[in-house]
Amino acid sequence: MALMPADSVAEARLGSLQGWVQPVLAVIGPDLYGDSIETRQRSTSFGFVAVLCMVAAIALLLVVEGHGAGRRGDAAMAMLWFWSGVVLLVVPISLRVAWPQVARGERFFLLFLLVEALFYYKVVHSPTSFVGHDEFLHWIAAADLMTAHKLFLSNPLLQVGPSYLALEIVTAAIADLSGLSIFAAGTLLLAVLKGTFITALFLFYEKISGSARIAAIGCLVYMSCSTFVLFESMFSYESLGLVFCALIFSIEAASQHLVGAPRLRAVGLIVLLLSALALTHHLSAAYAVIYLGAVAVFEALRRDNPLRSETKYTAFVAIFAIALPLIWMEIRGTHIVNYLGPVVEEGVKNLLGKFHHLFADRPVISDASAPAQPFGMRAITLFAILFTAVGLATGFFRSLALAAPRGDRTGRLAIKDVLGRRWRESRLVFLALLAFGFPISVAFRLSIGGWEIGNRMGTLAFFGVGVVVAVGVVHYWQRRSPQSWRNIVPALALSIIVLGGVTSASLNPIQGRYKVGADEQSIEPMGIETALWTKRWLGPGNRFTSDRINRLLLAGYGRQDARVAVADGVDAGRIFRAEQLDSDAYWALANGPIDFLLIDLRLSTALPVLGFYFEPWEPRSAAPLSAEALLKFDGIEGITRIYDNGFIVIYDVRGLHGHS
Amino acid sequence: MGIHSNKDLSAACAWATAMVAVVAVTDSTLLRTILGGPMVLLISGHVVLRAFGVRSTSLPEHLAYAVGASLATGIAGGLVLNALDILTPLGWAAWFWIVTVGASLLTTIRHEDSDLPSWPRPTGLRLWHGITFAIAVLITTGAYALAVRDEADQQQFKYVEFWMLPPVNAGTDRLTIGVRNAEPKTERFNLEVTLSGRPFAIFRSLTLAPGDTWTREIPVPVQSTAQKAEARLYRQDDNRLYRSVSALVPGT
Repeated sequence: MALMPADSVAEARLGSLQGWVQPVLAVIGPDLYGDSIETRQRSTSFGFVAVLCMVAAIALLLVVEGHGAGRRGDAAMAMLWFWSGVVLLVVPISLRVAWPQVARGERFFLLFLLVEALFYYKVVHSPTSFVGHDEFLHWIAAADLMTAHKLFLSNPLLQVGPSYLALEIVTAAIADLSGLSIFAAGTLLLAVLKGTFITALFLFYEKISGSARIAAIGCLVYMSCSTFVLFESMFSYESLGLVFCALIFSIEAASQHLVGAPRLRAVGLIVLLLSALALTHHLSAAYAVIYLGAVAVFEALRRDNPLRSETKYTAFVAIFAIALPLIWMEIRGTHIVNYLGPVVEEGVKNLLGKFHHLFADRPVISDASAPAQPFGMRAITLFAILFTAVGLATGFFRSLALAAPRGDRTGRLAIKDVLGRRWRESRLVFLALLAFGFPISVAFRLSIGGWEIGNRMGTLAFFGVGVVVAVGVVHYWQRRSPQSWRNIVPALALSIIVLGGVTSASLNPIQGRYKVGADEQSIEPMGIETALWTKRWLGPGNRFTSDRINRLLLAGYGRQDARVAVADGVDAGRIFRAEQLDSDAYWALANGPIDFLLIDLRLSTALPVLGFYFEPWEPRSAAPLSAEALLKFDGIEGITRIYDNGFIVIYDVRGLHGHS
Repeated sequence: MGIHSNKDLSAACAWATAMVAVVAVTDSTLLRTILGGPMVLLISGHVVLRAFGVRSTSLPEHLAYAVGASLATGIAGGLVLNALDILTPLGWAAWFWIVTVGASLLTTIRHEDSDLPSWPRPTGLRLWHGITFAIAVLITTGAYALAVRDEADQQQFKYVEFWMLPPVNAGTDRLTIGVRNAEPKTERFNLEVTLSGRPFAIFRSLTLAPGDTWTREIPVPVQSTAQKAEARLYRQDDNRLYRSVSALVPGT
């Protein structure tokens, strides 16, 4: 065997490495292969639109049938009907939207159809009432507003609620003027908000990318955000806040080429919307601060800026975005850090803990109380994450190249321009960097404590993810004059990405039997009837405490003053979980404001699905609560059991106060 | 080609005036929804955009901005009406009327050219497209009705509610006792009431069909010290104790 010289070996290795690296660079590289197919004038195919409307209607009927079967306890049929409906709803429309040769108007209409169909999908889960935890909080606030004809009433279940009442104000306006119920008025409002959001997002992406096709695909990708399908369709302040954000981003992007009075008018409209946003939702206002602040910074950094006034305008808007929420918080005396701080702290702690276990030389302690999803749902979510990651990898440098100054300099030269702070579109550069929030948000979602942070991060990060993946699809996967597989495969992958938005939105989206500690799956007619009983026989406004679900029902349906704490520093959970009523608990009941305790004995039948019975911060239980612990109030002098239906018991503790 | 006229402003003012009239004189939900919904969600924003002089390049863009401006107008209205203590239906109607008429006047005085984006003309739309769309709407509406029916039919738990309210809730010197049958079949009960452990009242053979409620107010003697009243519900079939509730009768 002949010996090879060392430099030959090195050369051979380098050659092999280059042979390996070149295809990878070609995949992620900045070369733009797409053309301006979408800019060619095409007419809408009404045939496709009509057929897809019919398909969506049939799909929604299947979803409703799935819920019906779930309510009847037929889990197998429920799964079959429901998921058939979801696939039939998402896949055909996504395929058509992502298809290269489709008219702009048709893409836009189909996106609108899909987003409203997904909203319908959310509403038919509970077609006559709100069932989400946060929905109850805002429903109660809206009902209080309409009853008292006053704003800023205290909300014991949402401390910051009185400072962010915009959703309730608009809902009250619709309900007062129309005579509709709060549920009907809120649902009408949300339907309009969903349509407005997707319109604003489409226009935003179109303005910064110059392509309706990229805009439409970007909107599809945004729908895969875990908060889009359910969380941002809820009767909750972020649903309105996010719409304001999308509108502000869209108007700001559209106004960048205006000068003089038209520009000032656009800025005036942005300031109006920023003012409304400041009163709507703290976190959405923070999204606007991050985005507008970053755009201002990138404009300031940008070299060869032909319009230096652009820097001044973006800085001016960013100052308003920062100042208005701060002024509102100052006026209201809201301490948002106290509200959000513990959530962020817990999330970061959990994430660090995960990494610590991952790299430590000891077994990973699995979180026993982590709620589980069916395998199929988890598989779709994982594939959606995988495809999104691939889309990001192929779209990141291409997005930067797209943001570079147009001219002869393409490919790596375009990236060199961007690195030299020469770009055409600051917004696109920032969104490309923002897409890095996606893997971080996924990492946060791996732990229960960090799940909420990951979710909220995703909402902002997906503004970047959407456009970056869309650029990857158009400029790498589909390319110019696409072959048939390049039409079908990326479109199918996008369908799965959108399906991932449905599967990652909730643990189990199908209506079914009552479950313990499962938020909307714990709300059923008997609990509602009991809450209504309290309003009818005790009157509204009594001070109650109970578990997380019954508190919502008492406050919502019963119009009671439902409280988390029995007395200062003593949560209801501590009193309910204890086997005996010790002297501290007795003292809290005797001297605290609570008049009634509502005990749900069903809590003793299972561990809570979400991991907690009363509040997220309570210690995780290894076994269900005992019925004896829950019924320990029997026989205590001064406490009487005034209501019993075999599952739910109400105790009157006013005798301890010496009032009754 | 845009639309150059102020007819839209005249129409918005007429709409706002009609809405005020309807809110003032009728409780018709349909009429009020038809007039009030678009006012809160679109029309007020449209006139505000006109007053601002913000131009848009397409109809979806104009509609999206108009919705945003309407929402902001509504939020501002909430603050103003709250300050004036008239957060009522008529207060809302007045607010939107003032905004609509005021913004329209401002636009007219400033001689703002509307230049609204034109409505797109659909080409290639056939009858069968319309019929298919109508059928899709019917299916979706029917599916919603089905969902409402399924929800109304859901009754996982079967139960009987039993309660006793103390004088502080039932009325001076009396207790209220109630039974409601939420079982799917007729139930028969015997009911026994004691006061400080002594028999006080008995009700036999209470027959309750599904959904029926039985209530009774019982006068109680008030003594110098508090007394504990207890009520026990027995199933007539086996005479076993089924439920028990209690209440305090305060002393003088």
